[in-house]
Amino acid sequence: MIHRMPVVAITLRSLLDRRRFWLMLLLAAVPVAITLLGRVLGDVTFSQIVFDRLVIQTVLPLIALVFGTGALGAELEDGTIVYLLAKPGRRFRIVLAKAAVAAGLTIALVLPATLLTGLIVATDAPDIVVPTVAYALAAVAGGTAYALGFLTLSSITSRALSIGLGYVLLWEGVLAGLLPGTQTFSIRQATLGLADALQGVDGETLDAGTSVTVLVVVILGSLALGSWRMSRYQLRGGD
Amino acid sequence: MTTEAPSQAAAISVEHVSRWYGNVVAVNDVSFSVGPGVTGLLGPNGAGKTTLLHMIAGLLAPSAGEVRVEGRPAWRDSEMYRHVGLVPERETVYPFLTGREFAIANARQQGLADPGAAAERAIALVELGDAADRRVGTYSKGMRQRIKMAAALVHEPPVLILDEPFNGMDPRQRLHMFELLRRMAEQGRTVLLSSHILEEVERMAESVLVIYAGRLAAAGDFRSIRRLMTDRPHVFHVRSTDDRRLASELLRLDCVFGVELDAKGLTVRTADLGQLTRHLPRIAKDTGISLRELRPTDDSLESVFAYLVGR
Amino acid sequence: MTSAPLGGRHGAGRGGSIYDLGYRVYEGPRLGRRAAVAALLRHTLRTAYGLGRSARSKIMPVGLVLLATLPALLAVGVIVLFAQFAQSDAAAGAADALSPVRYSTIFPFTAVLVFLFSASQAPELFGRDQLANTLPLYFSRAISRSDYAVARMLGLLIALLVLVLAPQLILFIGRVLVASDVMTGLADELPQVPTALLVGFIIALLVGSLAAAIAALTPRRSYATVAIVAVFLIPNVFAAILVSLDIGLFGQLAVLLSPADVLDGVNAFLFDSRADNITVRRARLEGWTYLVAAAIWTAASLAVLLRRYQRLAA
Repeated sequence: MIHRMPVVAITLRSLLDRRRFWLMLLLAAVPVAITLLGRVLGDVTFSQIVFDRLVIQTVLPLIALVFGTGALGAELEDGTIVYLLAKPGRRFRIVLAKAAVAAGLTIALVLPATLLTGLIVATDAPDIVVPTVAYALAAVAGGTAYALGFLTLSSITSRALSIGLGYVLLWEGVLAGLLPGTQTFSIRQATLGLADALQGVDGETLDAGTSVTVLVVVILGSLALGSWRMSRYQLRGGD
Repeated sequence: MTTEAPSQAAAISVEHVSRWYGNVVAVNDVSFSVGPGVTGLLGPNGAGKTTLLHMIAGLLAPSAGEVRVEGRPAWRDSEMYRHVGLVPERETVYPFLTGREFAIANARQQGLADPGAAAERAIALVELGDAADRRVGTYSKGMRQRIKMAAALVHEPPVLILDEPFNGMDPRQRLHMFELLRRMAEQGRTVLLSSHILEEVERMAESVLVIYAGRLAAAGDFRSIRRLMTDRPHVFHVRSTDDRRLASELLRLDCVFGVELDAKGLTVRTADLGQLTRHLPRIAKDTGISLRELRPTDDSLESVFAYLVGR
Repeated sequence: MTSAPLGGRHGAGRGGSIYDLGYRVYEGPRLGRRAAVAALLRHTLRTAYGLGRSARSKIMPVGLVLLATLPALLAVGVIVLFAQFAQSDAAAGAADALSPVRYSTIFPFTAVLVFLFSASQAPELFGRDQLANTLPLYFSRAISRSDYAVARMLGLLIALLVLVLAPQLILFIGRVLVASDVMTGLADELPQVPTALLVGFIIALLVGSLAAAIAALTPRRSYATVAIVAVFLIPNVFAAILVSLDIGLFGQLAVLLSPADVLDGVNAFLFDSRADNITVRRARLEGWTYLVAAAIWTAASLAVLLRRYQRLAA
């Protein structure tokens, strides 16, 4: 039954459809699986890499990409967006509702995965608790930023998936290594910086202030840009 | 009805509206106004009907000109949607929702006080009660059209815009839809529907807007349009007691272009209806011929349309 | 049925013909299976680079090729500059020796681009026909199901070859032309060419067949895109982690199960150079194991691809 917020309900229903959700669940389970494997094989010191490279750099952006572009992209592509547009009320509310679902689903998958990963080795290595919580919180913030960024991207272009992939793999991946200056414009670096700051560690990433600023700017900016874009969205084609 | 009354704000008013995409002009300097009753927007595919309807529904900005609904500009006025119901052309509706859920979702988004009841009423109106709990993905084309209709009617809007609403409906459903829309019009609502099927528009619409290649080819009651087209021959069928004699008499008239004689009677082509109706009885009286039957053969929307399109 | 002239009479202005313009069956020569497959191959190639389509569909493939050639262009540029300003071959040679861009390192630089290309284009080539239900049209022609799969696969392979070899080509041309004497330049560079070609071919084949198999499994292109990226990315990280644990066999197995690392290994082995990839270095596998792994990955992918099209309802 549809409850209070119809846009939220519809977006949720459409994103939770069969394969897509199970694939994302599988993706989120990878870090847990690896940690389990490592635990079985007796080594627990690697968790940092799992958090850093696997969760934050791979699983998080991919899941956020799928949910972020799927939350709005499908309706824009098949034209059912008209049922949301031809209604009273500000477009901002539509964007907010979809953003909440995209970010919420991303967090719902990545947060437990991160906590579980830490939990598995916690008994043997209790000092993993602080990094676990730090990375978990950072993942929440970073996941929201990614999801909202991709959502807004999908309101601007129909090729948001490919462009988003290009951003994650090329801009945040390859380019960040070559041109350190781009690190400021990278959600990945901001997330990692936040994680380091929460642990009290001074890594080679951005400092706390910059990290938080970047994430906040991305989140608020995406909402603003997305709302602006949807309030001017024109339904072309047909006839 | 197409009205020139400036005192009241017409329900829909389109003034010198154009829409182009780069070099392609989809709608070309179109002006008209629409009031209560059923108005048909008629035109072949690609004529610009959907573009025009999207502009009226505030979903597309005109490149030039003004579109007003109930006196206010349509573009970027989301409050307008409380008074406007739109049935879009595209078939796709969320396939994973049931009909009832879809109707309720629309009702909620309209901010109705009792979305459930409103949805039920709308579903009953379109006679989808039995199928309301099935997923829309399982619906036939006609059923999907009807649930879209229900979604548009859920807030009982005074203005209803329908883009090709009868697509995929079988005759019985279409008839039902006709009745529904007629009733709405009788309640004082403004119903604007588009179609490329002449028979539908002919049956439904009191007035007609003919659009072709982005231009408004004609507006108004189609019979009056017909009468205005003086340079195209009206065609009549006449049966009398002496067709041959009548034919030769008619050929003497300036206003008669051609007369065809066959077993069923005379087919007369005339440029000026008025003149013919004056001359015909006089000829009959003078020659002693009795007229058995006189009827126009081309006063249908089809001939009007064909003529306008061919211009 | 053709005409008979109207009226039979001579002269007097009579005469003329009416022709039957109704449906006719084509009786002429048909080109047959080879031509059909060749046509499909050509079409696949054109689609892979967005030729014959809107500009938007060209952005990704052409953009990626340009990006891939960037390192090579820059490297050549640097060598040229050194040669100009230093005015001595020794300096240019030194610059060349210091340059991180060589035939053996081109692939590690451009790996991500290759994966992205396959993730972006393979779903287009294999998914579209499934989505639009045009497969029955293909299969009712001279093309068999396997022909279709092979033709599409070949098209993707060639498209990827262009992407993989373009930078190599630029590097080659640059270095030959920079050399003081073209002949010695050629003599220096030519020995590396067969290796570069072989490595490029293996890369294109593995990436292509894997991407094709995944793309063929689902009509929804966005699923395929993400899945293809995931299959290169995730095992890579997986292997990196396991190898860093130094647990011998598991780590090595993980490396072989990661297509990205396998390709790195092949690259290093065939060029007889030190692998750029830490994981590969640490795994300390024999070079030929990478080749075997690559062969297995390719064979398995092609098997999946062919089987999919055999069993697809169309």
